[in-house]
Amino acid sequence: MTASTASSDTSAVRAPGPRSIVGRRRLTSRRMVDVVSHGYIWLCLFVFVTPFLALLAYSFTGPGGTYAIENFQYVLGSFGENLWWSLRISGLSIAIDLAIALPAAYAIVRYPVPGKRLIFSVLSLPLYVPGAVIGLSLVITYNFTYHLTTSMWGLVFGMVVGTFPLMLTPIIVALKDLPIAFEEAAECLGASRWTTFWRIVFPLIGPGVSAGLMLAFIIVFNEYLVTLFVHPSEITTAPLRIFNLVRTAGLLPTTAALAVTMQLISFASVLLFFRVFGTRYFKGTYLI
Amino acid sequence: MATPLTVPLPQLQRDTRGRERRARLVPLALLGPAIAVTLLFLYYPLVFIVRMSFTLADTFLRPTGAVTTISNYVAMADRYLPNLLVTLQLASLATIVDLVFGVPFAYVLVRKVRYRNLVRAFMVFPMFGALYIAFGMRFILLPGGPATPLFEALGIPNTSVLYSLPSVVFAMSIFTFPFMVMNVGTALSNVDPTLEEAAACLGARPLQTFRRVLLPLTRAGIVAGALMVFGWSLGTFAEPLLLGSVNEQKTLAWTLYLKGVIQLDYGLSTAMGVVLLILAFGVTYFSLRYSRGALVE
Amino acid sequence: MSTVRLESITKHYGQTVAVDGLSLDVADGEFVTLLGPSGCGKTTTLRMVAGLIEPTDGRIFFDDQDVTDIPPRKRNIGFVFQTPALFPHLSVADNIGFGLSVKGISKAAIAARVDEMLAMVGLASYGRRLPAQLSGGQQQRVALARVLATDPRVLLFDEPLSALDKNLRDSLKYSILELQRRTGKTAIYVTHDQSEAFAISDRIVVMNAGRIEQIGTQTDIYLHPRTPYVAEFIGANNGLPGTVTGREGDGDDARILVQAGTRELRCRGRDEFGAGEAVIAYVRPEDIEILDGASDRQFENVLEGTIDRVIFEGPTAQLRVEVDGRELRVDVSGNQRLTLMQRDGRVRLGFDAVTLIAAPVPA
Repeated sequence: MTASTASSDTSAVRAPGPRSIVGRRRLTSRRMVDVVSHGYIWLCLFVFVTPFLALLAYSFTGPGGTYAIENFQYVLGSFGENLWWSLRISGLSIAIDLAIALPAAYAIVRYPVPGKRLIFSVLSLPLYVPGAVIGLSLVITYNFTYHLTTSMWGLVFGMVVGTFPLMLTPIIVALKDLPIAFEEAAECLGASRWTTFWRIVFPLIGPGVSAGLMLAFIIVFNEYLVTLFVHPSEITTAPLRIFNLVRTAGLLPTTAALAVTMQLISFASVLLFFRVFGTRYFKGTYLI
Repeated sequence: MATPLTVPLPQLQRDTRGRERRARLVPLALLGPAIAVTLLFLYYPLVFIVRMSFTLADTFLRPTGAVTTISNYVAMADRYLPNLLVTLQLASLATIVDLVFGVPFAYVLVRKVRYRNLVRAFMVFPMFGALYIAFGMRFILLPGGPATPLFEALGIPNTSVLYSLPSVVFAMSIFTFPFMVMNVGTALSNVDPTLEEAAACLGARPLQTFRRVLLPLTRAGIVAGALMVFGWSLGTFAEPLLLGSVNEQKTLAWTLYLKGVIQLDYGLSTAMGVVLLILAFGVTYFSLRYSRGALVE
Repeated sequence: MSTVRLESITKHYGQTVAVDGLSLDVADGEFVTLLGPSGCGKTTTLRMVAGLIEPTDGRIFFDDQDVTDIPPRKRNIGFVFQTPALFPHLSVADNIGFGLSVKGISKAAIAARVDEMLAMVGLASYGRRLPAQLSGGQQQRVALARVLATDPRVLLFDEPLSALDKNLRDSLKYSILELQRRTGKTAIYVTHDQSEAFAISDRIVVMNAGRIEQIGTQTDIYLHPRTPYVAEFIGANNGLPGTVTGREGDGDDARILVQAGTRELRCRGRDEFGAGEAVIAYVRPEDIEILDGASDRQFENVLEGTIDRVIFEGPTAQLRVEVDGRELRVDVSGNQRLTLMQRDGRVRLGFDAVTLIAAPVPA
């Protein structure tokens, strides 16, 4: 995908026949509209990326305004534990997400479940509850009923409940795209439903599953809001650390370095995914 | 030729066969874990805080039983109404900004741009988290920071930009921008481009085509996008905190945290939570009515 | 290598009846086609034989085993779908070997069998390829190999050729027949295409609205339709409603007299019709001859009418003749079709073969 310039876009607009003055004038105004349109897109994109770029620049500054790369070493050192926790929590969350989303999606698509629209809405509800409310309700419940305040699993399940609906959608899309003839053929050839699922269905919905995993990963990896409410005191994930640091110690290059690292890791996974699988499976997830 | 076949169902000698009966259990088992997790970690906690919001502060723990009261809500209305209003104000402004800038963006993206995947790749940046946006912007706007020369040239004092409403709203709208674009973009891509061509052939100017053809057809997507942005913005934390002034931009969500987790005033904080919840649900209800949830047909 | 017996199979979908009390006996090694328009229940019936759908009522037997409650994977069947449904992520060889691999058969045995199957469908060197690299016809042949690999008792075909273009259809249908003959397996084939059914079946089951209209060989169905539906669905036919007025002669010369409109027709009837009974007299377009004059044969029935239209179709010409307010179709081939292009006005039609079918009771 190369950035198209205004001229290549207007090639389709070239009026046939003799070039009159009127024709040339129309050409120019359309050309201008195209330039403005594309310019607007790029302006907005620039605005999106600016905070990241600013932090990127900042993260390379050392004491006294010098150029320093030590900030990133600091990331691996002092923040290493936070990064490690982030990765660990993310990994666990997306694994549990998959374990519950995969069968649920299969049931919704392939079985005549009564009230499946209602069930789907019920399962998707966490997406519409403000993060602060989820966080508060969980921390209170953990305190009084579940007694999970000191366990990592409290945090993990807090993440799971918020991201599992996002994993559901791409898998449902992938399953709907899969013609049922494949499963029927496998069944007629003698395979049980279990065998059919793992040998035929799962490989063919791979892209959808990966889309879900990636989405969930991005969200949990960068999550700080619910984490703020629910984390046990020994566990501080990287985004939470950034949040706390900015509030207490102000802006530091090292913090910026950590933020940059987080965003780079996230961006890299998105790019990798788009490269491998394309963008089909994100329809309906509001990432696309 | 043949007799019509819509005969009423005769009494079947056999009841549901073994296979059909078993087939009904399987989907329930498959949905079980998902429903269990959602019930345990979302619905029950929500019910819990609703109950708690009607309880007098520490009486929850007393063995004599909890005292039901609406005093939490009264206190909220008394002292924290400004917070609620600030929350609503911020959310509304962010929505407006997103509408104004997002709809044209979506239009250009869908109709004119070929390098859509590149744009999408860039658009994921805001979605990583409002935290990074707020952090980055704070850095940019700091006195002595990179934007200072610009402000000096324009004659605006730095602090008035940094800890103020515009920067908070700006950051919020960046974060929710992709939501708006996605909703509007999907609605737009469902509109057949030949409709616009037909309108042009019939003599309509571009603005007229937009107003009379595109707008009505994409209205559902625009409304859905606006509602989604609004809903998300209700619970926001980072931007008001990092970019707003403590006095002016105090959101309900942050106050909820302070009261609930720091000060352990459960009654009051859960009341705030419930209010936020009702707001969010109201928004959701309207957005679902407008959007086409055609995923699970 | 089983017989298939359907005993009063019924399928209801809510209020709609898709299949209504259908009974059928298929002999071992026989090729039976279910023929009918879309919506007549033929695919539903086939899927019930496969076990993909459960009948609301009735039983299904393979040989003498009641398989009604047995799921498809245990019935040992081969089902060929409308689309090849080859697993896109598996190679051709893995596709063919799939049915064997789920049974835990050794890899060596599977490989040997796969090679055998590939040779049988004429795709010997294609084992390593992926389905996406094959043409539509090749894919369908791999689908055939795939179902044959497991040595099923019964082969079931659900309009396997309808997605292919005409030339492919013609060649592939004979391949299917040849494979069925070679392996000697019982086959039930579903199609809406009459020429396909006629080309390869041992017997044809004409279905309509969930019921069987008639079962028989090609000649049975074409020459001796039992119901008005079959008479009109199979090939083209002219139907003249009338009333039985009497009988004449006996033995081979027996004739039934029918008053149809203003004419009296002499019909060869197999069945007994009572006087005054309402019937429809069917005569096929190719059985009607245009009477020119001198060199005419003597026909039992002669009608006069006016030419409405002449349609030149290439090998044949179609005449639409208005007789007594009805339009009859006459098919003419050979030289006569060329001379007819200039004809207009009145014409005399002669025919002998008239099939009588009892008229349906008005609904």
